[in-house]
Amino acid sequence: MIARSAAIAGIGATEFSKDSGRSELRLAVEAVRAALDDAGLRPSDVQGMVTFTMDGNAEVAVARELGVGELSFLSRIAYGGGAACAVVQQAVLAVAAGLAEVVVCYRALNERSGRRFGRAQAQAGTTSADVDAGWHYPMGLATPAAMVAMVAQRYLHDYGASTDDFGRVAVAARRHAATNPHAWFHGRPITLDDHRASRWIADPLRLLDCCQESDGAVALVVTSAERARDLRQPPAVVCAAAQGSGPDQYVMTSYYRDEVAALPEMGVVARQLWRQSGYTPSDVRTAVLYDHFTPYVLMQLEELGFCGRGEARHLVADGGIELGGRLPVNPHGGQLGEAYIHGMNGIAEAVRQVRGTAVNPVPGDGPVLVTAGTGVPTSGLVLAGD
Amino acid sequence: MDEEIRAAARRVAEAGESGLRPARDPVNLPAIRDWLEAIGDTNPVYEREGLAPPAMVQVWTMPGLRPAALDPADPLRAMSTVLDEAGFTSVVATNCEQTYHRYLRDGERPEVRSRLTDVTGPKRTALGEGWFVTTESTWFVGAEPVASMRFRVLKFRPGTAAPPAEPGTALRPVISPDSAYFWAGTAVGELRLQRCGECGALRHPPGPACPRCGATKPEYAVASGTGRIHSFVVHRHPPLPGRRLPVVVALVDLEEGVRMVGELRGVDPADVRVGAAVRVDFVRLDDEVTLPAWRPDSPVETVLPTWELAVTPTVVISTALATRDFQDVHHDRDAAVRRGGKDIFLNILTTTGLVQRYVTDWAGPEVTLRGMDIRLGAPCHAYDTLTFTGRARVAADGERVVSVSGRTAGGEHVAATVRVAS
Repeated sequence: MIARSAAIAGIGATEFSKDSGRSELRLAVEAVRAALDDAGLRPSDVQGMVTFTMDGNAEVAVARELGVGELSFLSRIAYGGGAACAVVQQAVLAVAAGLAEVVVCYRALNERSGRRFGRAQAQAGTTSADVDAGWHYPMGLATPAAMVAMVAQRYLHDYGASTDDFGRVAVAARRHAATNPHAWFHGRPITLDDHRASRWIADPLRLLDCCQESDGAVALVVTSAERARDLRQPPAVVCAAAQGSGPDQYVMTSYYRDEVAALPEMGVVARQLWRQSGYTPSDVRTAVLYDHFTPYVLMQLEELGFCGRGEARHLVADGGIELGGRLPVNPHGGQLGEAYIHGMNGIAEAVRQVRGTAVNPVPGDGPVLVTAGTGVPTSGLVLAGD
Repeated sequence: MDEEIRAAARRVAEAGESGLRPARDPVNLPAIRDWLEAIGDTNPVYEREGLAPPAMVQVWTMPGLRPAALDPADPLRAMSTVLDEAGFTSVVATNCEQTYHRYLRDGERPEVRSRLTDVTGPKRTALGEGWFVTTESTWFVGAEPVASMRFRVLKFRPGTAAPPAEPGTALRPVISPDSAYFWAGTAVGELRLQRCGECGALRHPPGPACPRCGATKPEYAVASGTGRIHSFVVHRHPPLPGRRLPVVVALVDLEEGVRMVGELRGVDPADVRVGAAVRVDFVRLDDEVTLPAWRPDSPVETVLPTWELAVTPTVVISTALATRDFQDVHHDRDAAVRRGGKDIFLNILTTTGLVQRYVTDWAGPEVTLRGMDIRLGAPCHAYDTLTFTGRARVAADGERVVSVSGRTAGGEHVAATVRVAS
């Protein structure tokens, strides 16, 4: 069992912007250096590095720039934002197995000023993913928003939810971001009417159902729970770390299962998280849920067991996921409000909630749940104080 | 400047209906013959019965080559002047919805009354930055309204067109040995579903092995091509290479029990519903790729024979003159190029006439048209080949509704719906 064997001992980030003005490699280096400083460690302490398959910065390049010496563990996880919590799981596995004592996880991207993920892109390769894309992209289903909209439309049909229920997720995120000075939308809350008035992107998704695009980087330092206790910050103990893929899984287009309006891959993650950690959904203080598109926040609440299938609209009603609500979700503003760093900024927020240093602290000492990208093979974490 | 245009639009709209503007000449057989000849319409019924073709209704009240006096009360003219002065000097008609209460008769002198209903902009369009101006007009003979029309033009700033999408940039599927049978099928008009050669399980999307029995003996069955919408998306943003937006994409439960994604064509996005019946269609991208697509599955539908028209400069110019449209872009190549076109192009009155001809050639000379909704897309230039296709169905009230598409190599020039009396 890996539960509680390791902890996140340091977090670091660049500023979140629309145009960083510097290379992704430099962003990665800045974030990792900040995370090591936060933990009170030196580059020479690092033995492992993990990032996303999509990250443009080779582990060795980041190590070179930082003056990290030898590395004994190098790993990458695929499936876009689904990798976010899985990179931490990789680090925990390496620490638990004794392969590396200090492992750095990082993600750096100029997603707004560089390649924008929301654009339609031609598939050029011959991988199985390229062949899969051939059943969707040429037919006009070529952007993440449209791929999610297909599931969202069926969700509305199956459960009688409305696009206002999507809007409530955006309103909560923007309310939280409004009081977060690191958030792009700091000081800019929205109302449900703002959501209703925002333009259609891919019906039934409006502009305000789609997360922002950002430049920036986040890094995390993972080490053993034991060593973490001797470092600068109170440890955020990894009580559970899980990955999950569902039956008949596709990347963003799992349309061929009996139920389209579901995220069974997140169910796979959820079952492991509760089993590893020994917690139940009612123990959770706050949930940091991957929010690239609002409908998937509703569906995650259901898959994770915070409510029954199709009932998330009742949970988000009347500020249920806002600060002070039944289950505060994304108190930093999420990717809708803070920044889109492929889910890694959500893990940093979970650590701050555990430490009690978050700008919008959620009271209590219960565990904090974090999830990674949805609609793809995904991952999750449960963090708690020592 | 945007605010000034909007203020002018409000002024013109608040002025309400214009006065009645009479046709220069009464409805007359020489003008009808010129029009029929230019359009190539050989329907004998108009001359025999002394009736004007319904699509000519606008022709009678066109202002002509040298309008005697600018009618300041003409709302389209008034709004055009405002936009001309703001630099939006080029014009192209985009929509025309006509309703015919009855056909005009030889000797009648119609009068028209118009009002401005909408000015929207500035919009980025394929032609350039511009404003859409919508007017509504009613034609009267004496006190009797005989026809009405909603008409929309785009007034745009020449030289601000977006660079044209390169042909062949449409997204293409990656075809693997495991999926080649599917694309070979669409190329010949077959929707093929993978069928396990061992256990017979059907599957889409396909793969090299059967997830049920493990066999690696993929074969295929030809699907009936019918199904129901399981879910759908209206893609509006961002742009898709080689596509005009919005695009409706549907996930369809095929009759055979598998699902498939394809574009849903021939529908108003607002009318799409989960559960609606659809039928497969095939959209040829090029010699290598034909995409499967969907269209509404109407119970009784007739396919009209295809009609190809070689659009020579003579066609463009003779029809422009026969419809009394003296805009230079329809007869003067240098002017058309100066205004951002590649050549002279058909005017909307002619496109309307060609659609009328296509439908009546099929439905027979004696039919009566109730109305036509014309939506223009890519311009049809001189030297283009304009290919008309159509499908007819019977509506609940017994009217026949004919959907017509006219395409050139540059894309869809016109999408029209024609209502034919029962």
